[in-house]
Amino acid sequence: MNKDPLILIIDDEPQILRALKTILTARHFQVEMASTGEEGIALAAATLPQVIILDLTLPDMDGIKVCEEIRSWSKVPIIILSVRDGEVDKVAALDKGADDYLTKPFGIEELLARIRVALRHSQQTIGNLSSIVRVGGLSIDLVNYSVTQNGEAIHLTATEFKLLAYLASNADKVLTHRSILIHVWGDADADHIEYLRVFIGNLRKKLETDPDQPAVICTEPGIGYRFITGE
Amino acid sequence: MKNFQASALRTSFQIVAGIFFTAIITLMMYPIREFLGSQIVALIFLLPVLFSVYFLGLLPAIITSVTSFLCLNYFFIPPYYSFLVHKGQDFVTLLVFLLISVFTSQLIDKARKGTQLARQHEMEATSLYQLLLALSAKADTGSIAGTVAEHTLRTIPCSRVEVNLNSSKAIPTVVINKSVNTTDGGSSYLFTYPMLSSRSDEGILKVWSDHPVLSGDEDRLLSMYAAQGAQALERSRLMAVETHAHILEETDQAKSTLLASVSHELRSPLAVIKASVSSLRSGLVEWDSEARQDLLSSIEEETDHLNFLVGNLLDMSRIEAGALTLHKKWNSLLEIANVSLQHMQKVLEPFRVEVGISSDLPLVYTDFILMDQVYTNLLSNSVKFASPGSRISLLAYPEEENVHAIVENEGPGVPEEDLDRIFEKFHQLHKNDRVMGTGLGLSICKGIVSSHGGKIWAENLQKGFAFHFTLPARPAGESPHIPVEGEDE
Repeated sequence: MNKDPLILIIDDEPQILRALKTILTARHFQVEMASTGEEGIALAAATLPQVIILDLTLPDMDGIKVCEEIRSWSKVPIIILSVRDGEVDKVAALDKGADDYLTKPFGIEELLARIRVALRHSQQTIGNLSSIVRVGGLSIDLVNYSVTQNGEAIHLTATEFKLLAYLASNADKVLTHRSILIHVWGDADADHIEYLRVFIGNLRKKLETDPDQPAVICTEPGIGYRFITGE
Repeated sequence: MKNFQASALRTSFQIVAGIFFTAIITLMMYPIREFLGSQIVALIFLLPVLFSVYFLGLLPAIITSVTSFLCLNYFFIPPYYSFLVHKGQDFVTLLVFLLISVFTSQLIDKARKGTQLARQHEMEATSLYQLLLALSAKADTGSIAGTVAEHTLRTIPCSRVEVNLNSSKAIPTVVINKSVNTTDGGSSYLFTYPMLSSRSDEGILKVWSDHPVLSGDEDRLLSMYAAQGAQALERSRLMAVETHAHILEETDQAKSTLLASVSHELRSPLAVIKASVSSLRSGLVEWDSEARQDLLSSIEEETDHLNFLVGNLLDMSRIEAGALTLHKKWNSLLEIANVSLQHMQKVLEPFRVEVGISSDLPLVYTDFILMDQVYTNLLSNSVKFASPGSRISLLAYPEEENVHAIVENEGPGVPEEDLDRIFEKFHQLHKNDRVMGTGLGLSICKGIVSSHGGKIWAENLQKGFAFHFTLPARPAGESPHIPVEGEDE
């Protein structure tokens, strides 16, 4: 069963398709390509890829719709591609079930990192979540509610821990402001980004080696936050 | 018909008034007629005649003259109570009285009418002057039409004025009613005056009056109002056309400048990329791994730079078109600055970057992505002018209702008179090859900061240069609410 993972790319630009196919094939992935939303949905159903890379601007239908459609019957990780100014669309797609995003133009290492995280998360849903997340000297025990830095216990408030636990259990995956707020504070506070700004700031002060250059909790401009393990 | 009756009624009243005055004079002089003598009585009888001609008009005056003549003859010239005259002297008195009274009546009447006419003309001239004065201050068609209608209503007795405009689609008609209760139609009579200027038909002036006919003066005044209104409308229309043409010309000029400057700036990174890639592809040279890495990283840097330029262009066109939509949220300036520093990492490597922004700084209500663009542009500008190895610092502190941010570098200053101009589009101070740019970056910063309700300015430091900008920390008096939790929760 040592089969290379299959990646489906849905993008209407032939240059991007060509480049990605070349690069990903060289990195031992199988690649399927679709240039319209409809074709993409059909191929997703027919080939059952491990990861889907989806451009949000497609000629025949809205990328967010494609995302919704596929998500209605499959849990396959979807990585969306978008331009710098498409924050609103990106957030909409992420809230509609996409797993991650990349802003064009992107470095190939970034793309590969996203694919790796996506594959890891899709495997984790099958297996068990590990209860301890480790980054550098930082260790977060999600079951026993304890955080240590180089062996020393770090005191967090209940909300801070809840926030950190949610980020850490989705390590390396982007989380939208909305999903974090709903998860930590509840539906009523889904739009109160200011809570995040303050609480993330506090967390960084307690966890980061240099809070001015956060390396663990990373800001995704206009989208949300990402917990970086560096794996 | 109604009008005619009213005027007949008025004339009869005037005649009666004249006769009444004659009767009073007769009654007053009757007891002392022997004492006065017929000549003096005749003189006194001129009084009602003069009164009538001055206050009542020519016809009542003539009738008063005749009545006075008859009274004089009947009551005051012997034999009394008869129209016979015995003495030749009395006959002359009577005759002279009649002649003087009729003749004076006519003279005075003429003079009176002359004065009246002069006053009327003066009033016309004044009202026309007032209209012209009011019109000269108005530039848009709507207020010109409004002014014409207002002046018409003020000077002409009418119940409703309407100005129909041909050229303005936004305001096709302006209507003014004398009173709110006025119901148009019914008893009102409509008079229309075309508003024609020398070259075009600007519209129609419509006047609803209660009288079926307008006097010659009113008619003339209305024609003049219509003509003056038309001229003002034409003037305003031509002015609008001229302004529009001027704006188009300027925009066109700006666009070609932008295009020239953009194509220049886009080409240099492209040239680097092209040169590097073709070098790497060519089989003539065997590149050692260091040189190879160098070429590759310059390709990557230039690609990022191109991407940044395209972002700037997009922002510029949005600011220009007024289509910049802000997705404002409560953000931490420190977080924004850190994100900018992170993706400027490669370019900032040769510099010493210091961040002096407290994490306790109040949150600012901003668009994260656009403020990131502001920092990126300010940093990129600092990198352009400051020498490698020097210090670039980012500072921010709260200041009343604002957060005041500073980006400092140790680069050269700018002549004091140019400090404001560097935020203008296409303004480049250093025209040497090293620092050519589109000159868009700082104007984009200004556009973004202003649309957040903040200010941006630059300052020469003793040793270096600083950009300052402010962002409101409490827009509309609101500050963010942050839930507080107990430590032991």
